[in-house]
Amino acid sequence: MSVQDKARRIIWIRRTVQTLVLALFVLLLFANRPADGVAPTAPVTTFFDLDPLVMVTTWLSSRSLEGISLLGLATLGVTLVLGRVFCGWFCPFGTLHNAVGSLRRQFSKVRPRTSGCSRWQRAKYYVLAALLVMALFGVQWTGVLDPFSLLYRSLSLTVVPALDVGMSTVANTVYLGDPHLGSLHLRDATEPVYRWWQEHVTATEMRLFTGTDVVFLVFMAALILNLVRNRFWCRYLCPLGGLLGAVAPRPLLRLVSDPDACNGCQKCTMACPAAAQPEKPGEWLGTECFGCWNCVASCNNSGLDFQWVPPVKRTSTGSVDVGKRRTMASLAAGVGGVAMASVTPARHGTTYEPSLIRPPGSRAETEFLARCVRCGLCMQTCPSGGLQPTWSEAGLEGLWSPMLVPAIGWCEFECHACGQVCPTQAIEPLPLEEKKKIKIGLAVIDTTRCLPYAYGRECIVCEEHCPVPDKAITFVMEEAVQRDGSVRLLKHPRVDPDRCTGCGICETKCPFQDRAAIRVTSAGETRHPDNQPMLGASSSGYGTSESNPYGY
Amino acid sequence: MPRITRRDFLRTSALIGGGLILSDSLQLTNPVLASDGLPQMAIARWDEAALAKADLTATATRLTEAAMEMLGGMNRWVSDGDTVWIKPNIGWNRRPELAANTNPDVVGTLVRLCKAAGAKNVKVGDHPCHPARQCYRNSGIAKAVDAAGGKMVYLDKKRFTDMEIGGQHLKSWPLYAEVVEADLVINVPVAKHHGLTACSMAMKNYMGVIGGNRGSWHQNMEACLPDITAFMQPRLTVVDAVRVLTDHGPQGGDPNDVELRGIVAAGTDIVALDAFGATILGHEPRNISTIKAAEDRGLGTTDYASLRPVERVLS
Repeated sequence: MSVQDKARRIIWIRRTVQTLVLALFVLLLFANRPADGVAPTAPVTTFFDLDPLVMVTTWLSSRSLEGISLLGLATLGVTLVLGRVFCGWFCPFGTLHNAVGSLRRQFSKVRPRTSGCSRWQRAKYYVLAALLVMALFGVQWTGVLDPFSLLYRSLSLTVVPALDVGMSTVANTVYLGDPHLGSLHLRDATEPVYRWWQEHVTATEMRLFTGTDVVFLVFMAALILNLVRNRFWCRYLCPLGGLLGAVAPRPLLRLVSDPDACNGCQKCTMACPAAAQPEKPGEWLGTECFGCWNCVASCNNSGLDFQWVPPVKRTSTGSVDVGKRRTMASLAAGVGGVAMASVTPARHGTTYEPSLIRPPGSRAETEFLARCVRCGLCMQTCPSGGLQPTWSEAGLEGLWSPMLVPAIGWCEFECHACGQVCPTQAIEPLPLEEKKKIKIGLAVIDTTRCLPYAYGRECIVCEEHCPVPDKAITFVMEEAVQRDGSVRLLKHPRVDPDRCTGCGICETKCPFQDRAAIRVTSAGETRHPDNQPMLGASSSGYGTSESNPYGY
Repeated sequence: MPRITRRDFLRTSALIGGGLILSDSLQLTNPVLASDGLPQMAIARWDEAALAKADLTATATRLTEAAMEMLGGMNRWVSDGDTVWIKPNIGWNRRPELAANTNPDVVGTLVRLCKAAGAKNVKVGDHPCHPARQCYRNSGIAKAVDAAGGKMVYLDKKRFTDMEIGGQHLKSWPLYAEVVEADLVINVPVAKHHGLTACSMAMKNYMGVIGGNRGSWHQNMEACLPDITAFMQPRLTVVDAVRVLTDHGPQGGDPNDVELRGIVAAGTDIVALDAFGATILGHEPRNISTIKAAEDRGLGTTDYASLRPVERVLS
């Protein structure tokens, strides 16, 4: 069997693996849905557990290994042996890029320019350096650019909801309009499909997310850039690709070329998605190569092959010269990023954003942001759909981290799923009974809107929905003078701050649907001992005691 | 062995026979019949002494069967090929023991009886306050309904359509067409406390077939509940009082607020059943504003005893 045939066979194996991994990614994405208020049973964090960039930066920024998966080490180990096969064979985002690139080749008449190695490929190492420096100073921005976070967030917050809206719109239009020919009803065809979709695919009520336009634009931009250069994202920007490239300039399996067989036809250059210089014998770039075998298959003279080489031996003089000055500049940029992000009143506990209601079990803000990788798992699993990505509430540092927006949905009393699916334990995996004791905020009644207070009308909706068994909302009987002078006895709701957990269902369900007459603010949240307006019921100061482990 | 004298025998026989003739002539025990010649209301009770040790699944099942049997069986309402919508209260993500939702075995038994009576489709669904999937599962109702051959339906928020209610307060309101279009809607509430109306029963249970801003109804429950009840034209109501929630309703959550009562009542007069439920919770029905309003509207009687319900005690 010729080298070319072997390569072609390996490429088919690679494509199969890529498809299967992408399918697994999507399957796990759909598996991450609200069960009976407990965590999904499928291993939904698998991809993040395998991500060495998440592992390293979370470890640096949180200065702890608690709750951090060490499977990323396995990925690094594989990379030391086989090079960046993670990018070429495994990464589902990479596979999507491949798919877009192959679409371009199928449909575009324009021959792509030869895309040899470019200086710009250094960019990803600068991105990586900046992220590492930021992490070292406690600012974790990895999630914004990590490929798994980016892909997961984009799919779960924008693509899946868009599909759901599409399915629902078509099915409901057909159902309500009921177009039919005699006894042939179109809805008989659409209903089973819609039912299947709802019961087996989404398995939740429709959930939509705010501010996802930008998430989607970033995702689309990353995909469309494949039209400029094959796997643009992976070549130039991906910090995880940068990390893997950095650890494997000389893997054990390397591309070896026979200079005598090369006729300079550049077919391998055209075939190479990574611009790893297969066309220059002796200058192959181990840091860039995805190990995809395209070049080997493209060479009609059998001049290229992957071979095992002892680890220390230097077989290539090629390198992506990142340059000391530029590296220093990117490190400085990272420090700049830190300065930008961390010199704010909120970051230093001087102010607290009232709308920044974090999921139950979230660590104190600094520690939370040091861990959160903006993957979107918690938002996707939230049964009420109340967990939403932040935009400005947590500053640029906290971009796309989760917060509860009670106008959209509440924190379900009998649920602790978000903490169970968080891959980095930014939200701690509390047992359900512990979670029920956590305060994520406090309900505040707006007496200028509340119906009994402001309008002298009966309403008990907030009390009715308050899930605390002995009710955090109680009534005080008050006389309300009516327009005709008569007096009516009304139930005025009042919040008991010792019992209120800030779950927000009162705000979601308030008859005022634009701005509720009872709203949750972050005050009183368990995780911040300084954000406490109330003297606690146990009056032992804040902090913890045996009887009152959460400090209220 | 004690001897029975002839005199004892005659005296006892005379007493029993006389008693039977007397009670029959006074019609103390005979139910007031509906136009189809069958009783309007039935109450099945579990023997109080045996209740604490009873297996509640069997209890709820047999009570429901007994109540329906006393009313003449499910065939009174269900014909071959019918579509039935059973409307339990599944409003809250709570376990069955907390009595915030209808007992799953009561619901399951009704599904089974409907299927046995020839119903083609038995759909069960509610418009819950908590996420529907969690409610359906954690209430135990989904499991019971699946086992009995019924189908749980998740209401689609886009499928509420405006309907002419023509009520005193509600002129039109979005309702779930699939419910309204069913051949029969069985209203199966759990008897429980409610913060506004003092108790929540069958009429309140209709809030699970409506869409729109449901919270706004609380400003005028006395008008809205009779309006929706009149529109829904109730034919069969089954009140689950196997467990009742006595405080912190309608969702409860504290096992101490739950009382074991072992009662299932069923009948054709929704107001009478609401009144009966209110009595179980210790209220005078006429003091409950919504129930009183419904009676004043002519939707039924709060004096459920006047229907002379058929009663049976099981153990």
